[in-house]
Amino acid sequence: MTSPSAPSAPRAAVPVGIVLLVLLPLILMPLSAIFIFAFRGGADDFLRVLTSRDAQFALRFSLLIAFATAAINAVFGTYTAYVLSRYRFRGKQPLGIVVNLPVAIPTVVVGTSLLLLWGPIGLLGRLLAPLGIQPMFAPAGVLLAHLFVTFPYMLGAVKPVLDEIEGTYEEAAYTIGASRWQAFRWVILPALKGGLFSGALLTFAHSLGEFGATVLVSGNLRLRTQTAPLYIFAQFEAGNVAAANAVAAVLATLSFVIFFFLLRYTERRGR
Amino acid sequence: MSIELENVTKRYAGQATVDGVTLEVQKGELFVLLGASGSGKSTILRLIAGLIAPDDGVIRLEGKDLTPVPAQERGVGFVFQNYSIFRHMTVGENIEFGLRIRGVKRSARAERRDELLDLVGLGGLGGRYENQMSGGQLQRVALARALAYRPNVLLLDEPFGALDVKIRAQLRQSLKDIQRSLGVTTILVTHDQEEAFELGMRIGVMDRGRLLEVGTPSDLYARPRSLYAAQFLGGGTVLVGQCTRDQVRLGTLTLPIPADVPHEEGDRVRVLIRPEQVSLEGAEPAPQAASLGRGEILENNFSGAVRRLRVRVPPLPGVRQLVPAPAFGEEGVTLEASMPAHLAEPPRQPWVVLESWHILRQPTPRLLVCDEGEGIAPALELARPLVASLDAVATVLGVTSDARRIDAMRAALAERAAAAGLETPSVRVRRGDLVTEIVSEQREGPYDFVVIGAGEVESRRGRREPPRFGEILAGRIRTPLLLARGRPRRIERILICTAVGEPGKSDIRAGGWLARRLGAAVTLLHVVRPGQTPLPMVPLHLERGVATLRELGVSGTHCMRAAESPVEGILGLLRETPHDLVVVGASAGGERITRQVLRQAGCSVLVVPHGSW
Amino acid sequence: MEGTSSRWRGVLPAVLLAALFVYAAWPWLPFARAERNPPTIVFYGFSILADAFHDGIFPAFQKVWAAEGGGRVEFASSFGGSGTVTNQIVMGVPAQVALLSLESDADRLADAGVIPRDSWKRLPNAGVLNLTPFVILVRPGNPLGIRGFEDLGKPGVRVVHPDPMTSGGANWAVVAEYGSGFRGSPGGPAAGVAVLAGVWKNVVAQAASARAARTQFENGFGDALVTYEQDALFDKSRGRLRADVAYPPRTILSEHTLIVVDRNIRPRERALVDRFVRFLWSEEAQKVFVRFGFRSVRPELDAANPGFGSIADPFRIADFGGWKRARREIVEGVWKDRVMKATPNR
Repeated sequence: MTSPSAPSAPRAAVPVGIVLLVLLPLILMPLSAIFIFAFRGGADDFLRVLTSRDAQFALRFSLLIAFATAAINAVFGTYTAYVLSRYRFRGKQPLGIVVNLPVAIPTVVVGTSLLLLWGPIGLLGRLLAPLGIQPMFAPAGVLLAHLFVTFPYMLGAVKPVLDEIEGTYEEAAYTIGASRWQAFRWVILPALKGGLFSGALLTFAHSLGEFGATVLVSGNLRLRTQTAPLYIFAQFEAGNVAAANAVAAVLATLSFVIFFFLLRYTERRGR
Repeated sequence: MSIELENVTKRYAGQATVDGVTLEVQKGELFVLLGASGSGKSTILRLIAGLIAPDDGVIRLEGKDLTPVPAQERGVGFVFQNYSIFRHMTVGENIEFGLRIRGVKRSARAERRDELLDLVGLGGLGGRYENQMSGGQLQRVALARALAYRPNVLLLDEPFGALDVKIRAQLRQSLKDIQRSLGVTTILVTHDQEEAFELGMRIGVMDRGRLLEVGTPSDLYARPRSLYAAQFLGGGTVLVGQCTRDQVRLGTLTLPIPADVPHEEGDRVRVLIRPEQVSLEGAEPAPQAASLGRGEILENNFSGAVRRLRVRVPPLPGVRQLVPAPAFGEEGVTLEASMPAHLAEPPRQPWVVLESWHILRQPTPRLLVCDEGEGIAPALELARPLVASLDAVATVLGVTSDARRIDAMRAALAERAAAAGLETPSVRVRRGDLVTEIVSEQREGPYDFVVIGAGEVESRRGRREPPRFGEILAGRIRTPLLLARGRPRRIERILICTAVGEPGKSDIRAGGWLARRLGAAVTLLHVVRPGQTPLPMVPLHLERGVATLRELGVSGTHCMRAAESPVEGILGLLRETPHDLVVVGASAGGERITRQVLRQAGCSVLVVPHGSW
Repeated sequence: MEGTSSRWRGVLPAVLLAALFVYAAWPWLPFARAERNPPTIVFYGFSILADAFHDGIFPAFQKVWAAEGGGRVEFASSFGGSGTVTNQIVMGVPAQVALLSLESDADRLADAGVIPRDSWKRLPNAGVLNLTPFVILVRPGNPLGIRGFEDLGKPGVRVVHPDPMTSGGANWAVVAEYGSGFRGSPGGPAAGVAVLAGVWKNVVAQAASARAARTQFENGFGDALVTYEQDALFDKSRGRLRADVAYPPRTILSEHTLIVVDRNIRPRERALVDRFVRFLWSEEAQKVFVRFGFRSVRPELDAANPGFGSIADPFRIADFGGWKRARREIVEGVWKDRVMKATPNR
């Protein structure tokens, strides 16, 4: 305090302190509140709530949807990124904007738009209803909404990596004798591994936490279409704060783990 | 295996990147394609590899048409400029990749891999990744990878471009050895003259998509046919002299023209003098030596083994300097010279003697004919008699601002050229602003005349209003501009106006050159104010002009005319005696006169920029 | 070697991921499936019903159905504001049976063509399944001395209220507040408007459903909450209530309407659903409702719950000409057009 520190060696304590001061009430304290409340009734209570059928279903359903979303969008997103990065065609720029649109649209609007298209009174849903096909208020509807909402994440993770790979990379493979598919499989895909991995994790995490669109298209039916976030909300609304917090704590932990791997992975690649 | 290209053309956005290239590379040959960046040399490699398809022409491998064969099956080894080593594979896996694709067994693959690593001098480094190797090593990996499955043809795109000079020399030698030991037909692309000389069994020089000439390195250096090749390979000085009785006159010096260089009396002949062919001597040379007189050293640079100099000699009458481009207002002739550095430095004012020289082949006159693609076509109409009597090559140029119209325009231009009787002209379409694109095209291409039409705009705006764009163009281009007006079947009478500024030399020579080939008669005109006696040198200039014409074999008369302004004088004479073509100079002071003549003369007008002829 | 260690590093996340997937997919894996999906009844209800149905009605009916030889039966259920549930059903959620807090929500379903008009009237008791009066929850000890809806208009009282646009309970509450004034000693429409305006002047938080409003109140918002008696009693029975119940002398008894959405019932589910609907009016089910704090449609059963407070002047929606008229005249005519417009800063 009394001796002035050398200008070449700035003290880290003050800036770090300021950052912590900002983060504490903004992020860290609310998050820890979840855990504190989750275990307020003791570990037994926590486990009892967590192992209830509804909670188990909600968690499993959320995970499955997240797995499916990540897998499907990994394929679609990568393909879209490949097309956008490798082909020249008219309308490429508008298409690039359209595929990124879901980030900009409120998820509630996504849900509404899906309902208005596929719902029983929607534009296409009306035609499907007589055939007994009802994508909304069913797992398919939830999946559809999640695919929509998370589409840009995969694209955003893969396309920059693809753009970075020079065109001669594939051409080199062609001249060596590789078919288009072989070049993609053996040359492009391995180079995309990092982007695919982080894109899939991001997609997974977003799908796990998706609420706005899901609440509209799922019908929020317990044991049928209730995802973990919907379960949390329903329990919270019903005043079962302990149940809500238990599942919330699990979701938060899952997110921590996912982002831990994501960060470690990108850090390793960045080195 | 031998590779043949026959009339191969590749266009991008209407521009021919590769323009009618015909070439044969022999089995086992190491052929070098040399050219500046953007000359289309890399595109040729990509065409051969099948990465892109030609718009026109055929590529054959050992006589077999490659058109239907996809890149994967052409059996071509390609080394890219950036090497494109697969980052996630080890060097060894990179080399094995082609074999793995082909389903070769692991053990056979490993054997071949080690063999190749040894061949390129990277034995034992197969386990490394891209980021663990230097540029030179990567280049060798790329080479080994391209050779792994024993390709028929090896294509190398600027393989040493990204390396520093020392490594380059070393790798060049090893490439040469490998190529020779494997005997694989190889095409290497480079912009480096030294590299081309060192590696190429033969070299092809490319410029703007055209393959200008092909030859062995020594042939191309000693006897280039085109100015571009002369400049690109070796450089030196190029002077333009007049051809008189099978000789070129450079001042007092006359140099014989070899019989195999076609030439005609009065032609402009280009003489190439390589730097080492210029001898700078302290003592006055013997009378039979080809001496350009006493010069003055402008620059003297020591560069290791040789000393490079620039020396200026006094003006040589009737000689124009082409290379190095003379500075504005420079009257003398500047020559590039070089001498072994260990010899004594020449005196400051040495005698300049040419030890030998080379006469460049006479270029075919080239016309750039600008056409709008619709309406009447005076430029095309005028181009036909010009092409016929000048034995010239016409390029028809269209300009459109709409990228989608490029193909339609090209088709329209070809059709219109055929309708106007122009046989097989090359057609170019550029996108952008009309004046800008014509200016760029004439600057980029070796054109002798730019022909534009006056017709359409005239019919739209009334007879007395020629297009403004012609006037703008006249002020911006360095090539003689021919504004075609009306429908001249033949050009029989040419009016050359020396009234414009100083009696020009370019305009008389250009007009005379045209007159000789067209068989036209020339009138030389000078305008004086009424009641004013002309300056004493005027009659002399006119006499000299007629003499120049006579030397060219053209019958010419001269006349003086009194009028309030030069333009009135010219227009007055035209009213009395119609001419088919008016020639005016375009010098700094005469812009207004040029513009008025362009606008008001009832016939075609040729504007000759000062110093362009 | 670096290559092998980085390869091993990738194993942990891969194993974790695989484990997570197996966990998630477990119930759907072919060898893990204990039995085929039993028949399911899809039930939608307004918010305060959740516990009564989850913990009371559904298990009870499952026993009944099993005892009658029907085997296992599952319930898929969703609870939200009555308006929200109604909107969801209109949008096409596969609800088979729904309990709405307002008869006018049933009318809306009929308007949308989801159910035949007045079809619920053919059910027992004209579709009304149970009742509960509207009361006021106050902070322990009732520090502000609130005794009735009139007191909520006093200066400084902060009221938490569900939103009449989405919550059925809120509609009841509005009529209760209006009716309390209307039926007061001087009484009449002007007194009704005055009480309503007084309450809404002091509303500090509007929640989408009755349950959400209660959660807000529990979290410390406001001094008073207008809510169902059931809501308060239920919490009290679990020892969770940290508030006192103030019984207004004049308040409404809300009536909850059951509807059956025929178009979402497949023929083979018909008997099951019908049995379930019948069960709801059985003595057993009605006792469950009383246990969870609802007043039964059979008043004699109410004695089983000692928590029910006495109300001097309970009234019904029929006293105001039924929901159609009440909605038009009180909710739309008074609350929306007069009260809300007079409080511009909301």
